[in-house]
Amino acid sequence: MTARATETSKGGASFMTRRAFKKILIANRGEIAVRVIRACREMGIPSVAIYSEADRSALHVRMADEARFVGPAPSRDSYLRIDRVLDAAHASGAEAIHPGYGLLAENAAFARACEESGVTFIGPRSETIALMGEKTSARRVAAEAGVPVVPGTLEASVDAAALRREAERLGFPVMLKAAAGGGGKGLRLVASAADWGAATLAARGEAQGAFGDDRLYVEKALARPRHVEIQVLADSHGNAVHLFERECSIQRRHQKVVEESPSPFLTPELRGRMGALALALVRKTGYCNAGTLEFLVDAEGRPHFLEMNTRLQVEHPVTEMVTGEDLVKLQIQIAGGARLPFGQDDLEQRGHAIECRIYAEDPERGFLPSPGRIVALRLPEGPGVRNDSGIYPGYEVPVHYDPLLSKLVVHGRNREDALQRLRRAVAEYRVLGVATTLPFFARVLRDPAFLSGDYDTSFVEALSVTTPPPVDHVIEAAVAAAAIRALHDRAASRSTAEASAQAAPPWWRAGLGEAHGGRR
Amino acid sequence: MILDATVAGREVHVEVHGKDGRYAVVLAGRALDVDLRESPDGFASLLIDGRSYETAIERRGAGYAVGLPGGTLVVEWTEPSRPGAGGPAPHGGETAARVTAPMPGKMVRILVESGQAVQADQGLVVMEAMKMENELRSPRAGRVREVHVREGQAVETGALLVVVD
Repeated sequence: MTARATETSKGGASFMTRRAFKKILIANRGEIAVRVIRACREMGIPSVAIYSEADRSALHVRMADEARFVGPAPSRDSYLRIDRVLDAAHASGAEAIHPGYGLLAENAAFARACEESGVTFIGPRSETIALMGEKTSARRVAAEAGVPVVPGTLEASVDAAALRREAERLGFPVMLKAAAGGGGKGLRLVASAADWGAATLAARGEAQGAFGDDRLYVEKALARPRHVEIQVLADSHGNAVHLFERECSIQRRHQKVVEESPSPFLTPELRGRMGALALALVRKTGYCNAGTLEFLVDAEGRPHFLEMNTRLQVEHPVTEMVTGEDLVKLQIQIAGGARLPFGQDDLEQRGHAIECRIYAEDPERGFLPSPGRIVALRLPEGPGVRNDSGIYPGYEVPVHYDPLLSKLVVHGRNREDALQRLRRAVAEYRVLGVATTLPFFARVLRDPAFLSGDYDTSFVEALSVTTPPPVDHVIEAAVAAAAIRALHDRAASRSTAEASAQAAPPWWRAGLGEAHGGRR
Repeated sequence: MILDATVAGREVHVEVHGKDGRYAVVLAGRALDVDLRESPDGFASLLIDGRSYETAIERRGAGYAVGLPGGTLVVEWTEPSRPGAGGPAPHGGETAARVTAPMPGKMVRILVESGQAVQADQGLVVMEAMKMENELRSPRAGRVREVHVREGQAVETGALLVVVD
């Protein structure tokens, strides 16, 4: 990597024109694989997709330059098989692997296997992934770097009595978390001592099932916190910048559904302080490539470090829209040994961006997944609208994977402008065949707390806005459309009946008609 | 053609005539001039007295689900004039509620046992599917008659999970 960098500076080639790799394999699927393919194509780098049996018809396979089969539908037999993914990389001649997010993206063993087999892993070093992936070691290193962490234990434990003593010292409510945690698994809010026993059992079971590791730790549950994260980028030459914050307080089941930047809650002072804290941890760990530090900001405006995601985030487009930078292309260049093409002072937040995650989930039924066929699809377009999508009309949403279909991102001059644009885009967005989170966003966009920017992580539970009853002329339109379709369907079934009658041999019709005196 | 329907909790009487895109619809005694053009992308353009709607019409139960920019409205035909195919409308009423698996997955937790009283919307089972745990809730208040699954069991779409009386 150092050799590459030296070559770059000697050759004097500019940052974005030099090809970092001859070919890149994308160890992911869905919208994020499509996103990475786009970056590769802009850089003139051929891309290799991988796919399971369930994904032969997926958009990322169609769009990539090459595609390699990696196994049966369940992720553990295909996308999570390190050996098969590496075989695909070697067989295709890929020099680097972009892991996307989820799947193998934060798997230190995978990053190590890449390093050992001579394929560049587009992300941080495997030791860094291991250090930050263990949530308690991440808390310890953050504390050492002078970054305030949420009060609680710094060591993970399976000792129920010790955890209990710590919970009582902190005072209920507390959060019980899996040391190997992620994606809201093994996470329990424990309101009082009475709920302790059941919560530890549930959290442990979930952690064991999801990560094969049932060690837990305890954190003080902050009252009505905001979830604010800082995007960082660091190269292998010791340069690091932050790309400001994303506000991610709109969550269901501890997973984000709406993100925006700038945060309507952050003052310039707090933004600057959080950016500096993030960079302190980046320097302390010798972090390289793109990463995100998640913070909870309490009601008094104090940030507490929660965890670091050592990968590209789902919501990275929000940052791209306000900074004008392409994080995926930067990741690839950094992995190729290039220096960051800008310093902190070259970066600024321009305007306001908001993202809505379009999941195949039914908000009317507790966000229950809704797999099925996309019967018809209309994506919103026009000024300031970006779609990062992994679907197309006729696409069958598989049951085996995360139900994220697409991300809708808008950019506006300011928050007000972005909200107007988002309301327009959500109304324009039509998905038929599967239930989606779109009706939920239509409600969020009418909620006074969201509109004023005064919201926290309890927002989804507190959302009181209901869908207003349809107005008369809309009911009229629905009935008219249904009645006309009924008329068509009846005509179609009649002509089918007539056609089959005509298809019968003429002697049969004639004979029957005559013999029975024209009973028809 | 004359139809009776329920939509958004209301009962309506509708009469429809016409063909090739131009229709006369009489709705609650009001005559509407309707122009409907279907397009191959799955949507249809609807013009009613000059107002424009982009709709998507799908068969749903004993009627149609009509997607409109503000959301989807279900228009269900009521007896006796229900046209064409489509089974009888599901009745609430006195029959038991059968909770079935909406997708293939694995039962993670069973939250109720038979004989137990439940509230409407109370969780019955937790099912893991599409990488997430999903709580399936009771569609009505009542008593659990039968639990057909156990923890750890894999189920297919439509599998009967719980019956609530």
